[in-house]
Amino acid sequence: MKPSLPDAIDYREQSPEVQERFSRLKERPVVLSVEGLGKTFPTPGGEVTALKGVDFEVFRREFMCVIGPSGCGKSTLIRILAGLETESGGQVLLDGNPVAGPGPDRGMVFQSYTLFPWLTVKQNVMFGPKMEGKSGSSVEGEARQWIDLVGLSQFENSYPHQLSGGMKQRVAIARALANRPRILLMDEPFGALDAQTRAQMQSYLLQIWRNLDITILFITHDLDEAVFLADRILVLKANPGEVDEIIEVPVPRPRRLDQSIEPEFIATKHRINQLIHPESEGKEDTLPFARMTVEGDDVE
Amino acid sequence: MRFSHRGTKDSREPWFGVRRDLSAKRSSILSLVSFALPLAIWAGVSYLPFLWHPDIRLQISADREDVATVYIAGDRVSKGFFPQITSAVRDQNASIEAQWKSDDPLGGSTESAVRRSNKKILRHLAPVLISNGVIDEGQSKDDAAIYRAWKDIAEGTLDLDSPELAGENITIVQQNWKSMRSVSETYDSDNSISRPLLSLIPQGKSANPDYLPSPDQVVAAGVKIFTQPPEGDRPSMLQRVGHSMRIVFGGFFLAALIGVPVGVLCGTYSFFSKLVEPFTDFFRYMPAPTFSTLLVAIFLANDAPKIALVFVGTFFQLVLVVSNTTRRLDLPLLEAAQTLGANQMQLLMRVVIPGILPNLYNDLRILLGWAWTWLVIAELIGVKSGLTEFIETQGRFRNFDMVYPVIILIGLIGFFTDQILALLRGVVFPYTDEGSAASANPVIKALLFLPRWFKDAAEQRLPHLPDKSTHPTRA
Ligand SMILES: Nc1ncnc2c1ncn2[C@@H]1O[C@H](COP(=O)(O)OP(=O)(O)OP(=O)(O)O)[C@@H](O)[C@H]1O
Ligand SMILES: [Mg+2]
Repeated sequence: MKPSLPDAIDYREQSPEVQERFSRLKERPVVLSVEGLGKTFPTPGGEVTALKGVDFEVFRREFMCVIGPSGCGKSTLIRILAGLETESGGQVLLDGNPVAGPGPDRGMVFQSYTLFPWLTVKQNVMFGPKMEGKSGSSVEGEARQWIDLVGLSQFENSYPHQLSGGMKQRVAIARALANRPRILLMDEPFGALDAQTRAQMQSYLLQIWRNLDITILFITHDLDEAVFLADRILVLKANPGEVDEIIEVPVPRPRRLDQSIEPEFIATKHRINQLIHPESEGKEDTLPFARMTVEGDDVE
Repeated sequence: MRFSHRGTKDSREPWFGVRRDLSAKRSSILSLVSFALPLAIWAGVSYLPFLWHPDIRLQISADREDVATVYIAGDRVSKGFFPQITSAVRDQNASIEAQWKSDDPLGGSTESAVRRSNKKILRHLAPVLISNGVIDEGQSKDDAAIYRAWKDIAEGTLDLDSPELAGENITIVQQNWKSMRSVSETYDSDNSISRPLLSLIPQGKSANPDYLPSPDQVVAAGVKIFTQPPEGDRPSMLQRVGHSMRIVFGGFFLAALIGVPVGVLCGTYSFFSKLVEPFTDFFRYMPAPTFSTLLVAIFLANDAPKIALVFVGTFFQLVLVVSNTTRRLDLPLLEAAQTLGANQMQLLMRVVIPGILPNLYNDLRILLGWAWTWLVIAELIGVKSGLTEFIETQGRFRNFDMVYPVIILIGLIGFFTDQILALLRGVVFPYTDEGSAASANPVIKALLFLPRWFKDAAEQRLPHLPDKSTHPTRA
C-alpha cells in the first residue's frame, strides 16, 4: 500500500467543489471545541502523558476522524470528550459550555459490544429516553424508527446474543442516536468486524450521517476508513499524544467505494502514512531471514 | 475454543479428543454410566462372595464357657478370628465328652448351673430353625418347640437346608439327643437334663462388614422406614425430611435476603466494599460449627439455633461471592449506560442488578449446595432433630442399612433441587446462551407449555378479545 504514482498530486489541492464545501462547513457553528487538552495517568513507574496540548474544533454536521499510531491517546481523547475520564489540563466545550461528566448530549459507540444483554433490541434503543424518565409507551414508536433507520426492524424483539457483530453495532448506533445527542463519539466501532461487514457499515454510517442533524467524531486506525468517511482527519502522534496535523480530505462527496483508487484519495492516504510511520519512508520492511530452501527452488 | 462435530458420522468420531464435545447420545450414555458404575461396584462387592467379604456372619452363635464376649447369630467376626472360636468350642466339647466318661460328669459344676447352660445350648439352634421356617420368629424361646426340633433332626425326620447344619453339628445333635431322650422325649421344664450337653459348633457365611449393607438391604430398609408408621410420637420420615429442608432453606434464604443486597452494594460501591469485606473475609475463616454452643445459648432450643448455624455458615461466603460477581460486571456496560444518561441510582437499579442476575442465580445455586453441607451439624446442635437425628440413632445401633437410605435421600434432594434450578435458569434468563438451549429442551418445553395452555384456556373463555394482528401497523 505504498502509493508512489508518477502523477501523484498534492493532498492539499482541492477541486473547486470541495473548496466550496469546506468553506460552507467552516461557516457552521462549532459544536465541539477542545482547548489545550492534556491528560496524564499516574502509574507505579511515574506519570504517563497520554495527551498534551490538544486543540481542535468540530463544526456542526461535520464528520471528523481521529487517526494515530496505537497508544497515542485516541481512546483517552474520546473518553474525555464523553466524560468517562477527567482531563488533567485544558477544557472541552460543547456548544460553548464546559463538559463535566458523561451525559446524553454526547452519544458514544464503543469498540467492544456494549448492548445490554438482558434487553431486546427495542428495549436497548429505548434505554436512553427512559433514563430521562419518559414512559416506555411514549418512546416505543420513536425507538422503532431508529431501529428502522439501521435496518433491523425484523430484529426489534431479538436479544443481543442472537445478533451478528455488525448488527450489534448498528443497534448501538441506533441506541446512541435515540438520545438525540449533539455529537456521536465512536471509538473504532467497526474494529472487530470483517472487511465486508465493515465496508457495509461504513456506507450505512454515511447514509445516517447525511440524513440526520448529527456531528460525528470517529476514531480509527484504518487509513482507508478515515479517508472514506471523514471531512477532516485529525492525525495524532504518540508520546505524548499531540495533534500532528488536521487534514482536509480532498475527496468529493458523496463518497463511493471506487473513489479509493483516485489520486486525491491515494495522496491523502500517503500523507497520513507519512505522518504515522515517518521512519518507514522509502524503506522496505524486511525481516532478517536467512535462506532455508534448496538453491534454485525459488518462488520469486 | 471448541470444535464442532456437526455433520460428521458419530461412529467416526473419537471418544477421546482434546476439548472435543461428544455427541448428545454419547453424552447421555456416559451420564448414565456415571451413575451405573458406582452402583455396579456396590452390587459387585455385595453379591460376589469372592470380592472382599472379610467377615463371617454367624448363623449359629458362638458362646463358650469362661469367655466374656458372646457372639450370637447375626454377629460378624473376622475370617481370621472365626477358626479360633470354632476350635475353642470343639475343645470344650472334647472336654465335656471326657467328663462324661470320668467319675465327675458335672465337671465340678453344680447341677443347676449345668441345667442353665444346657437350656442355652438347646436354644442355640433357634436362629437356624427360624431361618428354615421350622419355628416363628417369636418362638426363639419356645423351649418345647425347639426340643421337638432337636428330636426331629436327630431322628432324621427334619432336614434343614437354609442354612444346612454341618455334619459335625448333626453328630452333636444326635449325641445330645441320646442324653436328652434318656431324660424325656418331650420338653419338661421340671425335669430338664442335668448331664452337660455338647455345644453346637459355630457356623457362618462370608459377609461384608455391617457398615456396607447390600443394595437390596438398603432398598428394603428404605421402603420400610418410609412406609412404617413412626413409633409413638416420633416424627414420620416425611416430617423429618420437611424439618431438615426447613432448616436448610430457612438458613439459606435468610442469608440470601441479607447477603445479596450487602454483596451487591459491596460490588458496586468501594465504600461498602472497604467497610464490609475485610471483616467478612476474616469471619468466614471461623468455622460455623465453632459457634454452635453460642448459637444455642443465644437462640435457645428448637430450630432457631439450627437455622442460625446454616446462616452463619452461608452468609459470609455469600456476601463475598455476590460482591465478586457484581464487580465482574462488564465495565463498558456501565460506561455505555452513563453516556446514555443514566444517573447513579439508575446505574445500580437498571444496569448493575439486571446485569448480574444470571450470574447471581448461579452463585445462589452453588451456595444452596453449600448450605446443605451445614445440615448435619445444624441438626446435631441443641435438641437433635430431623434426618440427622434418625441417622444418629440408627447409626449408634449399627443399623447401617437404615442409615444409607437417608444419606442417599439427602443427596437426591440436593441434586434434584440443583438440576431443576439449572434447567430453570434458561427459562428465567432467555437472553443467555442457556436460554436458547433451554427453549429446545423437551422438559422446558413441557414446562413452558403449561402456563401458555392456561393462558389460552383463559382467553378462550373470554367473550371476544381484539386480535392484535388486525391492528393497524405502521406503514
Ligand atoms: N488508565 C490508564 N492508566 C495508565 N495509563 C493509561 C491508562 N489508559 C491509557 N493509558 C496510557 O495512555 C496511552 C494512550 O492510551 P489509549 O488507550 O488512549 O491509546 P489508543 O490511541 O486508543 O491506542 P489503540 O490504538 O491501541 O486503541 C497509552 O500509553 C496507555 O498506556
Ligand atoms: Mg483505543
